[in-house]
Amino acid sequence: MRSYLLKRLPSALLVLVLASFLIFGILRLVPGDPASALAGPDADTATVAAIRERLGLNEPLFAQYGSWIGGLISGDLGPSYVIGGDTADLITGGLGATVELTLGALLFTVLLGTAFGVLGATSRSRGVRTAVRVVTTGALAVPSFVTGVLLVLVFSVAVRVLPSGGRVPLLEAPDLSVQYLLLPSLCLALPSAAVLGRYLKDGIERTLGEEYVRTATAAGIPPRRLLWRHALPNALPPVVTVLGMQIGQLLGGAVLVEAIFAWPGLGQLAEQGLVRRDYPVVQDLLLLLVTVFVLVQLLTDLVYAWLDPRIRWE
Amino acid sequence: MTTTTPTAGAVPGTAPAARKAPARRHPYLAALRTPRGLTGLALVALIVLGGLFAPLLSGHDPTAQSGLGLAAPGTAGHPLGTDDLGRDLLGRVLYGIRTDLGVIALAVPLGALLGCLFALLAAAHPVADTAVQRVFDLILAFPGLILALAVTAVLGPGRLPVILVIALAEIPVFGRQLRGGILVQREREYVVAARVGGTSSSRALVRHILPNAADPLVVQLALSLTVAVFLEGAMSFLGVGVRPPEPTLGSVLNQSMPYLADAPQFAAGPLLAVTVLVLGLSLVADALNREIRR
Repeated sequence: MRSYLLKRLPSALLVLVLASFLIFGILRLVPGDPASALAGPDADTATVAAIRERLGLNEPLFAQYGSWIGGLISGDLGPSYVIGGDTADLITGGLGATVELTLGALLFTVLLGTAFGVLGATSRSRGVRTAVRVVTTGALAVPSFVTGVLLVLVFSVAVRVLPSGGRVPLLEAPDLSVQYLLLPSLCLALPSAAVLGRYLKDGIERTLGEEYVRTATAAGIPPRRLLWRHALPNALPPVVTVLGMQIGQLLGGAVLVEAIFAWPGLGQLAEQGLVRRDYPVVQDLLLLLVTVFVLVQLLTDLVYAWLDPRIRWE
Repeated sequence: MTTTTPTAGAVPGTAPAARKAPARRHPYLAALRTPRGLTGLALVALIVLGGLFAPLLSGHDPTAQSGLGLAAPGTAGHPLGTDDLGRDLLGRVLYGIRTDLGVIALAVPLGALLGCLFALLAAAHPVADTAVQRVFDLILAFPGLILALAVTAVLGPGRLPVILVIALAEIPVFGRQLRGGILVQREREYVVAARVGGTSSSRALVRHILPNAADPLVVQLALSLTVAVFLEGAMSFLGVGVRPPEPTLGSVLNQSMPYLADAPQFAAGPLLAVTVLVLGLSLVADALNREIRR
């Protein structure tokens, strides 16, 4: 396991370093002087000079990069010039909301994905199997900005049971908070649940066809126990990889879902930073999101290698 | 891979003869003639034709403001009504399809082409292979919409960034698939036999390896078109896509959001168009995929 980690870690680190170079370059690639772009057209020279100083634009590129990364590691990101407030505070505030949304979506992904997989593979009713196939095909193909609007139309306009947008922090008022969380996390989860369901269905169908299952059936083990105790656990390893990749997709998809449901998370912060040209905030956010994404991928590979020892010897 | 679809109009009893006859269609064409493939093609065609004939079908300038405000369907020659600025909604949806398809039809082939070039580079030399793999990893470290944010941070909103984001996102998808295909085919016995028989390596690549390695890319193309519809729509929805007042399906949908409770018909057009398009594309991809897996 350790040797696999040692083999896998350098490439992940390399990707992270390259990504940080790219993201660092963004501010320098923007046409014109970034300091005056940040300060806006009406700023006086003192403000522009202060921003120059804060960004360290007078220093060599090496030093600028070093102090950026140093600041990120120590958590001191400096003030945000356009949006206002401390950048670190802005990001922590958004992070809480995005993590809440992503965890909600992950829960829906696992629940719905398992339901799709088990029903699609084992239901005796042809109608149920077809329904599962239609739902997963639709959930996978239809973009989340369409499902989001449809969910709002159904649950907030036609039936009026759930709010169409906004957020109440989970720790403040749990019962109210869940009402706000339901639609966005369902919207975010649907494509991932469909992917998970398809892999799980294939896995269960494959394991149910194996000889030890036939032996167990002949030995009189009831089908229900066979499914949950034997077929499902053996179908899991590839599904774990898929789930790991889906966590990354959830983080990316959150940007859009937050915009649909006015969810004040990192995606909204990134969008705001982009529209108002607050480049340092955008830079910090991009690196944070990419780092999390790469770490999740690494972790997924490790879990897979742990579940399936053959991987390590490739 | 052989086609098992019976020839249309074949008389029962003559089936074996028909199968022997050289009426061999390309398997992909046969896949498209299955009910699944045909339904998918019909749905896609419906949207494409709607976009192509937008000027004939709507008769309104999609950016002209009529002064009607948000009007109900059927008002004064506007079949779907008008949006909050009094612009004809049918026109905006149809021209939106045009904008979307124009972007996608350019971006996906561009990404596929670049991805294939990278894959060829990777197949040429182990050192190049490592470098190309890292490039793919780097692009994949930015999940779709994060990539969109990064690109628009540099270029600002507009048509070019959307095309670039879609193309960039497709490079590793096509690149990895073709690279994998080339590596598998290169070790196959027929290729080894051809090389032993004196075929040059470049000829073996072009004549033998590529046609077989590139086969699954057709399915990927259909799948990637769905992803492109998503990326383009999402970027428009987020306000970093094609600039207004030019309509796109994503931007019309985004504008309809504040009026969902009072005027749900505002959202109906883009919802329907996007759904029909992506369902059609994924049915086509599914039909082709079934053919490959047989």
